[in-house]
Amino acid sequence: MADFFLGAVPLILLFPLVGAATIALFGPYVQRSASAFIGCLSIGLSFLLTVGTSFVIFPLSPAQQTLYTHSKFVGYWAHLPPDLIIGFRLLIDPLSLLWMLIITGVGLLIHVYSVSYMASDKNYRTFFAYMNLFVFTMLLLVMADNFLWLLVGWGGVGLASYLLIGFYYDRPVAVLAARKALIMNVIGDVGIMLAMFLMYAHVGSVSYQNVFGHVATIGTSALTWIGVWLLLGAVAKSAQLPLQTWLPDAMEGPTPVSALIHAATMVTAGVYLIARAHPIYDNAPAAAELVAVVGGVTALFAATIGCVQYDIKRVLAYSTMSQIGYMMLAVGAGAFAAGAFHFMTHAFFKALLFMSAGIVIHALGGEQDIRKMGGLATRLPFAYWTFLVGAVAIAGIFPFAGFFSKDAIIDAVLKLHHPYLFVFTVVAAGLTAFYMFRLVFLTFLTGAYRGDHEVHAETERTMTVPVAILAVLSLIGGWIVLPHHDELSFLLRSTFADAPFPQSMADFNGWLSFGVLLIALAGIAFAWVAYQWRPQIAAALHRSLGGVHALLTNAYYFDTIYHWLFEWPVLALAQWLRDAFEVDAVDALPALALRAGAYFGSLSNRWETGYLRRYGLTFVVGAALLLFIYLFVAHGATAGAAP
Amino acid sequence: MPQVPLNLYLELSAVLFIIGVIGFLLRRNPITMLMAIELMWNAGNLAFIAFARNFIDMSGQVFAFLVITVAAAEAAIALAIVVMVFRRRENADVDDISVMRG
Amino acid sequence: MIALFWICALVAIASGIWTISSRQPVHSVVGLIVNFAALAVLFLTLNADFLAMMQIIIYAGAILVLFLFVIALLTIGAQPIEQGPGRLAFQAAPSVVAGLAALLVMSAGLRVAWSQSASAPVLDLGSVATFGQQLLTTHVFAFEVTAFILLIAIVGVILMAGRKELRF
Repeated sequence: MADFFLGAVPLILLFPLVGAATIALFGPYVQRSASAFIGCLSIGLSFLLTVGTSFVIFPLSPAQQTLYTHSKFVGYWAHLPPDLIIGFRLLIDPLSLLWMLIITGVGLLIHVYSVSYMASDKNYRTFFAYMNLFVFTMLLLVMADNFLWLLVGWGGVGLASYLLIGFYYDRPVAVLAARKALIMNVIGDVGIMLAMFLMYAHVGSVSYQNVFGHVATIGTSALTWIGVWLLLGAVAKSAQLPLQTWLPDAMEGPTPVSALIHAATMVTAGVYLIARAHPIYDNAPAAAELVAVVGGVTALFAATIGCVQYDIKRVLAYSTMSQIGYMMLAVGAGAFAAGAFHFMTHAFFKALLFMSAGIVIHALGGEQDIRKMGGLATRLPFAYWTFLVGAVAIAGIFPFAGFFSKDAIIDAVLKLHHPYLFVFTVVAAGLTAFYMFRLVFLTFLTGAYRGDHEVHAETERTMTVPVAILAVLSLIGGWIVLPHHDELSFLLRSTFADAPFPQSMADFNGWLSFGVLLIALAGIAFAWVAYQWRPQIAAALHRSLGGVHALLTNAYYFDTIYHWLFEWPVLALAQWLRDAFEVDAVDALPALALRAGAYFGSLSNRWETGYLRRYGLTFVVGAALLLFIYLFVAHGATAGAAP
Repeated sequence: MPQVPLNLYLELSAVLFIIGVIGFLLRRNPITMLMAIELMWNAGNLAFIAFARNFIDMSGQVFAFLVITVAAAEAAIALAIVVMVFRRRENADVDDISVMRG
Repeated sequence: MIALFWICALVAIASGIWTISSRQPVHSVVGLIVNFAALAVLFLTLNADFLAMMQIIIYAGAILVLFLFVIALLTIGAQPIEQGPGRLAFQAAPSVVAGLAALLVMSAGLRVAWSQSASAPVLDLGSVATFGQQLLTTHVFAFEVTAFILLIAIVGVILMAGRKELRF
């Protein structure tokens, strides 16, 4: 059995690719439901194989847990340096297995959810082809055993994200958002490439084994730069400061896409990258500290913005950004297991939140503005209770999943002795509880329904079952790390065995947990006061803090700053070049060439008389000339030498 | 019996060829022009055969034979064209046939 | 041998000039026949027995008869060609000059490149047996291609001359 699952590891990667190709090639010839079935089936098979592989790998001893598939296509590629040999083989270790479990597991739930959610869309088949493509590239990203194939997967998820954000391609906003996401992701791709160049320059290889095995020989300065460039890639993919502006716009995509790509999996690729490259950050403290600072600042930054947004999906997007900030902070602090833990729980409760919100949006015919909701708890009880579970989990209330993972991170930050970051995380924890319950109150409670759409009932079984499963997971998902019984870091121990920071999350700091829990409860209480008990308090705050409110509503004017800093100069330059250069200089040259060609053409046209004999004369003169040149000019010396 | 040097044959071939060339350029009657072309073919054949004898190599003679057959084909087609031109117009002066001008 | 060569050469040159200079196409054909006969004799001096016969049979016997047929067919009732001055003003003198210049270049080149004396004759060089064996063994591909060319020529001539309704 073990041999079967280990031999079938490539199939985990292959099934989604085959699914995507099948839907793309044969989708138009089969029923709509058939392509949805293929999409779900391929992910389901991948999930089953991943689970089986997990049961094989996790019980092994740490030395045996890292497994490489047989390398295919190893060899020398003509366009690579001859000493750079890059094979295609897959890496299975506890870290990649954890990610694969989430990608295929949550991916399967979201695929099933999409069967009903996207049912009325005209590009139903295309959607499943794209989603399968995404799962394939994401699996490639986490299963790669070197940075080059990681980058292939990295670019692939960027492509899938681009395609799915722009899925409603008849909306100009969606197209612009897709383009923005792609551009920002490509900035990150360049960062990873630069890191790979540095690795090649110092180690002569880009495979994990070689690079991490020779970390000691690279030197701190180069190692720090590698870490910084990798961080650039992670920042772009995970929507951290300062490349965060694409994520809120990415909510233009369908809600299952937001749940799978822009909450549960793809945006956590940055966390995976840092955790995977932990030997580099272990030996480059400056780069690691930069990771932590970026994560901590983003966690607080995004949480403040989340407090004032009115689009339900945008609030969730900022909350995602903030939670990934927590993960980055954890991996930057060296607590890789804690980061991976929060990734797991976050995938559960954030996918749950998005899918519950999706039920609401679906029921309201596409409405996303929470000012036009309210009082939906009685009409959509299932969405209300599941959303409430997600909100409680993300707020970090005991005993839901978020409590354990967030607590592990805050605990790690406390050990880091970095007071600002510690304060940031604690404040962000309170703000998280506040804006999530602001969302709960404004959407489901707070008086009567304020919108004008008809509210449809929530009956689709394929939508409610995945949401219910995720709700259960959001409750129990954190119990894998109980005090004095830390299963997760035990499972991940082989990957992070050489990390200097203690990975175990078992030493429970009771007072700290209690304090953070109190802060979260305070956030909930404030949300209740301001939006449920005395709504005039929120209105009064709104009036008195108008400037701050505008600042937050516009996300600290990052889009405006980037517009004037990067977009406007390029556009202005292009406009100027068009007006000043293109007409006079660029267009004039071809026109000149045209006129010259016409002139010489008219000259040679005179030779073209149509008279056969004149052609013959020209021919004879030319032949005689050529013969003369051949005999007496070109070969003059040898011909003259002959007797 | 003294042998004739190769050069004499080649010179004769060149002279006959140039006679054909000048005839082609001077005459306007397409039939006469064709005959000038036949002169050129034969001048070439003479050179081939002279070389074949000089190098004791039959390839020259075989090539001359092939030239004869190709010349026959050329003459047949060219005369067919001339016949068609004569059918379309009473006068077949080649200087009148310049409609192919570019 | 030399005397024979010179006689044939002079006959060939004179008949060639006669061919291109006579006003009547029929006269040209006669000149050409004389030219080919002189060439056939020259071929014989070059051990090309078979080709000499072919020269007489194919050229004089077939191609020139074809010329005669066409001349007879076309010149009945047609106005003579080359009446009056040609319309190409700058043609006659340059043609002669260019032709003579080309001849000069050619013979000068010959003098430089080929000044060998003649080699001894080989008696059976151009016999029908040798020629046929060469043609059908070493050069059989060229032979087949020639057959194909002749086939195409036949088809083309039938298409062009045989069907009156074909217009172009």
